[in-house]
Amino acid sequence: MLETRELSRSFGKLAALSNVSFSVDKGEVFGIAGPNGAGKSTLFNVITGNYAPTSGKVFFCGNDITGKKPYQICQLGIGRTFQIPTTFHTLSVYDNIKVGSTFGGYKTRPPEEILEFLNISQLSALPARNLDLYSTKLTMLGAVLATNCQLLMLDEPMAGFSIVEINRFIEVLQRINKEWGVTIVIIEHLLDILIGLTERMLILSNGSLLYLGPSSEVTQDRKVVEVYIGAAHKEEFHAES
Amino acid sequence: MESFLNALVSGLISGSLYAAMALGLTIIYGISRIFNFGHGVIALIGAYIAWIFVQNSKIADTSLLLGILVAIVFLFLLGFLLYRYTMNPLMKKPNWEISTVLFMLGLGILLENVILQIFGPRVKSIPVFKEGNIRIGMVQINWHEIIIIFIVILAIFLLNLFFKHTRSGQAMRAVAQSIPGAKVVGIDIEKIFGYTFGLAFVVTGISGILLGTKYYMNPHIGWEWMVKGFVIVCFGGLGSTNGAIYAALILGVVEALATLFLSAMWVWPIWFAIFMIVLLIRPQGILGGRV
Repeated sequence: MLETRELSRSFGKLAALSNVSFSVDKGEVFGIAGPNGAGKSTLFNVITGNYAPTSGKVFFCGNDITGKKPYQICQLGIGRTFQIPTTFHTLSVYDNIKVGSTFGGYKTRPPEEILEFLNISQLSALPARNLDLYSTKLTMLGAVLATNCQLLMLDEPMAGFSIVEINRFIEVLQRINKEWGVTIVIIEHLLDILIGLTERMLILSNGSLLYLGPSSEVTQDRKVVEVYIGAAHKEEFHAES
Repeated sequence: MESFLNALVSGLISGSLYAAMALGLTIIYGISRIFNFGHGVIALIGAYIAWIFVQNSKIADTSLLLGILVAIVFLFLLGFLLYRYTMNPLMKKPNWEISTVLFMLGLGILLENVILQIFGPRVKSIPVFKEGNIRIGMVQINWHEIIIIFIVILAIFLLNLFFKHTRSGQAMRAVAQSIPGAKVVGIDIEKIFGYTFGLAFVVTGISGILLGTKYYMNPHIGWEWMVKGFVIVCFGGLGSTNGAIYAALILGVVEALATLFLSAMWVWPIWFAIFMIVLLIRPQGILGGRV
């Protein structure tokens, strides 16, 4: 469904992404992890057209979408959410979602369906700026779902959530994937959440591919352990001393 | 009492003209975050285009209508193309906030001199829509001013309809609130910015025509119009159309009362004193927000 070939992006001399190739199958839930500054968000921005890649290509459903504009990519069926919750703050929850239904392309989902699916019908009339973090993120997700995307790309959607909220959100994601057949690519900091949620994942480190394979085997990978657990050990050590 | 009421009404009339003037500025800023320093000259272009069509007539007739239509088409294209070929590439570079302001300032000076070359330095004015006046109670008001107020109210009404009910208008409101948000729900923001410039230039041009009928114009007066627009927009809240309308009406009345009780010389100092006090107490303006 989604494929990148040797995707690179540099900012001046800094190589934020170098030669990243991977593919995601239809219906899959695919994870992306990596330490801060590894290039996860840059990868999203290049795929969704916010940055042009320095080199390499992006394919969606077999078509080359490299260098297309964000709105074209949205209308082709790729939705994405941001790490920082982004809503139209004076509009109501209903209207926020309606923006997605209105501009999302040829065939979109009506706001009522989204509200019911996400179980936020009771918030429908509230202005988005009055929402708590969890509902704000659901509203952002709702606006993107209303564009009727076939591929949903989520950039650390659960940052700042409590354990209860994380579990509720994971349930929502699984329903989007199972009931609507939407393919999901998710960036997440916490490896154990990602291992539980996804079948396959990739790990980026300094802009390069560190690991690409089954999520269940990620903890046995020597390089991953070095980057993740090694770093954690070092932090612990510094904290104690 | 009679002079007070008359001053109040004439204040509201100039206020509604200033509101029309400020709308174009606040629309562009609210949606694209660009502050248009060429604003006054754009208004002048509208006024001079209309003048071409009515220069030989004493009273406005259908030729003025034709002039307004030509000005609308010309300014929409000017705004759209200007965004597309200058603002759009500039906005992709770092420090675009400053470079776009300087570019528009430079363009304003350039166009001011083009107008000077074509039309010469002499003062011109556009004939009034309708001569004569009427009396309502103690207030004397002429037909021309009634028509101006009617046009301004109609323009504000149509703009509101446009923002609320058309696809492009709704997209503009979405872009005004969040550019990244608008991108991910499938809005072509470059096209919307282009339309925004076109629309704002049209509104600005119409306000210039109205100012040209009530007052006068020369190639340099655009800057004075722009400074007035600037004060109104900051006073009302950058990017807020309703704020600009309230601010324009308040400042129009202040202007008329200052002229009545002190003298016309006091208008600018009082405007700026109020403006600076508002900035100190409420930097976001009376209705801070966007569109």
